Amino acid sequence: MAEARKSMIKFKPKKFKVGDTIKVDFIVIHPMETGTKKDKKTGNIKPAHYIDSITFSLDGKPFTTMKVWETVSTNPYFSVNMKVPGKGKVTVDYTDNTGEKNTKSKKLKPKG
Amino acid sequence: MKRRNFIKGFCAASAVAATMTPSILLAKDAPKNANVLTIDAAMSAITGGKAVTDSAKVSLTVPEIAENGAVVPVKVHVESPMTEADYVKAIHVLASKNGNARCADVMLTPLNAKGYFATRVKLGGTQDVVALVELSDGSFLRAAKPVKVTIGGCG
Repeated sequence: MAEARKSMIKFKPKKFKVGDTIKVDFIVIHPMETGTKKDKKTGNIKPAHYIDSITFSLDGKPFTTMKVWETVSTNPYFSVNMKVPGKGKVTVDYTDNTGEKNTKSKKLKPKG
Repeated sequence: MKRRNFIKGFCAASAVAATMTPSILLAKDAPKNANVLTIDAAMSAITGGKAVTDSAKVSLTVPEIAENGAVVPVKVHVESPMTEADYVKAIHVLASKNGNARCADVMLTPLNAKGYFATRVKLGGTQDVVALVELSDGSFLRAAKPVKVTIGGCG
């Protein structure tokens, strides 16, 4: 079973209406190991371990995809925009180079 | 309460990450047999050799000086109507001297409404951050900015 990862989807601003363009931020706790760093205790190189692919979907339909390399910072942060079409659910599916898959969702609740 | 704890944990983790060296090799320092992807090779792979135009329509925001090469914020905003007929198809963020020049790509659609992407990258040393933008008509735009990195590389 995939390790549960801590992640967060944030909408900015928090209060918005249908038709507004909001920021959709995604942050996830992940080491983003480059595979070039030595473990100080063992002297061995820490294997590369990084998120490599992210898909943002609205009610199951993808609207943004990302390809990510080990050069992105640890505990990565990503931000895009979205025009709010109505009520719905935003889902972020992400995988890392070990094949680990995770998903996070947040309800889109426009006021008016 | 949950959210507050998450942010607490995230800030603590990030603070630790920020004090660590970025562990990013520069292309020039990579060992002989390492898999180095230079920026020229990366750009060729993306554009297929097509012409790339430096454009003021691409706003690239990076710090002039990064005290810590492990966490360098990058913001890209491309002026675009973001309609089905004319939108930003992809924004590729690259680092000119990292051993792996590629950092992150975002593939956008009109629902994004803005040609905007932000993330944080590792820079192994002082170099340019490059935003390579692909528009829906197949053309490529580019913007690049230098970032001076005071703590970078493998320590």
